Amino acid sequence: MRTRNAFQHEEVFVQFIREQKERFYLLAYSYTKNEQDALDVVQDSIQKAMLSLDRLENVTYMKSWFYKIVVRTAIDFLRKHKRLQVTDDDTLQYLTPAQEDVYENVDLEHALDELPQMYREVVILHYFEDLKLADVANILDIKLSTAKSRLYKALKLLKIQLEDVKGETAHG
Amino acid sequence: MDKKLQELEKQYMKVPIPKELDFVVEKALKQGRKKKKNRTPQWVLGSAAAAMLFTAGLNVSPAMARTLSEIPVVGSVIKVLTWTEYEVAEDNYDANIKVPSIENLENQDLANTLNEKYRAEGKTLYDEFMAEVGDLKLNGGGHLGIDSGYEIKTDNEQILSIGRYVVNTVASSSTVMEYDTIDKENEILITLPMLFKDQHYIETISENIKEQMRTQIAESNQDKVYWVKGAGLADEELMEEFTTIKPDQQFYISDKGKLVISFDKYEVAPGYMGVVEFEIPTDVLKDDLVSTKYIH
Repeated sequence: MRTRNAFQHEEVFVQFIREQKERFYLLAYSYTKNEQDALDVVQDSIQKAMLSLDRLENVTYMKSWFYKIVVRTAIDFLRKHKRLQVTDDDTLQYLTPAQEDVYENVDLEHALDELPQMYREVVILHYFEDLKLADVANILDIKLSTAKSRLYKALKLLKIQLEDVKGETAHG
Repeated sequence: MDKKLQELEKQYMKVPIPKELDFVVEKALKQGRKKKKNRTPQWVLGSAAAAMLFTAGLNVSPAMARTLSEIPVVGSVIKVLTWTEYEVAEDNYDANIKVPSIENLENQDLANTLNEKYRAEGKTLYDEFMAEVGDLKLNGGGHLGIDSGYEIKTDNEQILSIGRYVVNTVASSSTVMEYDTIDKENEILITLPMLFKDQHYIETISENIKEQMRTQIAESNQDKVYWVKGAGLADEELMEEFTTIKPDQQFYISDKGKLVISFDKYEVAPGYMGVVEFEIPTDVLKDDLVSTKYIH
């Protein structure tokens, strides 16, 4: 029966991937910050997933199961390529205290990027990918309480950043 | 959701999706499937479950078709792509049927005729295979395999020759090869009779093939065997004596403009010879040819 499950899973999986591929790409991109690497991560993730598809017990877990693979693959990828996240000029500018002339939209655009990865991934998975916090914790291999506290911290950080932006425009 | 979060989500979604994504995803799905096939033991355990994986590539995703068409698969304009793949992987039943599709022909009638033929044949192969598997299962099982696909024999500025093969595996295997040759310039399908002035070509080609068969048998010290008379083979060895080609014998035109005649496995020789081909020297044909445009 296991074989049959694997095949049923495969059909569901193929469809799931085709429908959601853009979301996987965005998630991968949020780690790699680079188009080619994100494509590689998506490709690796799909192949890995297909190899272990028969170990997935229930298709209802497919979403969080696959997201976990994508996240792990992305983190592995960054580790393997010893590629610290590339910090672009805008971010550097933001991080330099002396610089005051930050543009409103630039900040809003980068608010998420500037968030450390451990906070950013929680926000993306929970809010943008509509995953329950318990699933997010599972995907990231952290405790539920940790996921919660990271989310609060993330929101706090974002709020502060966004308020800062407001402050900037009010003063500017 | 909080307004700021909504704004952030919008930003998150704003990352451009590269057009290669479709291609990468389809490729990964396909490769994942292949890799999986190679490590069958783990999941072949247990009851035999039917699987039909319908790899729709081009027909599902226009974006992918577009991406693919940007990759020069074959030649510059007219291309051959895999339209669909049927796959069955079970303990004793194996099928892999690739259906080609000729793209970018301006002559829509020709394109439709060929592509519909390919698709219909692919589907028929698959249906027949599944029916046979059903029969076998009712009768206590057996082994059955089918492998069908295509290869490009010639693709130059003038000629596109595409060969499609079907390998049936029951106890032994049989192979059938079919060719279509297209004049890319004029976008017409080339048939064997139209290359020649009259029916005389049948005799000319047949005689030449017999000669080549005899030479090959003699040179190989009878390692190679064709069912032809006059080569020192005992009559009982001639399962089915080759006397003449069919008027519409399978053929293709090689890259160098030579006519190549093809015979299926078992058609003119024992099974171990497989599919056999004979290149006919243009010199031999020159009196029968209408022109030296295609064959030279």
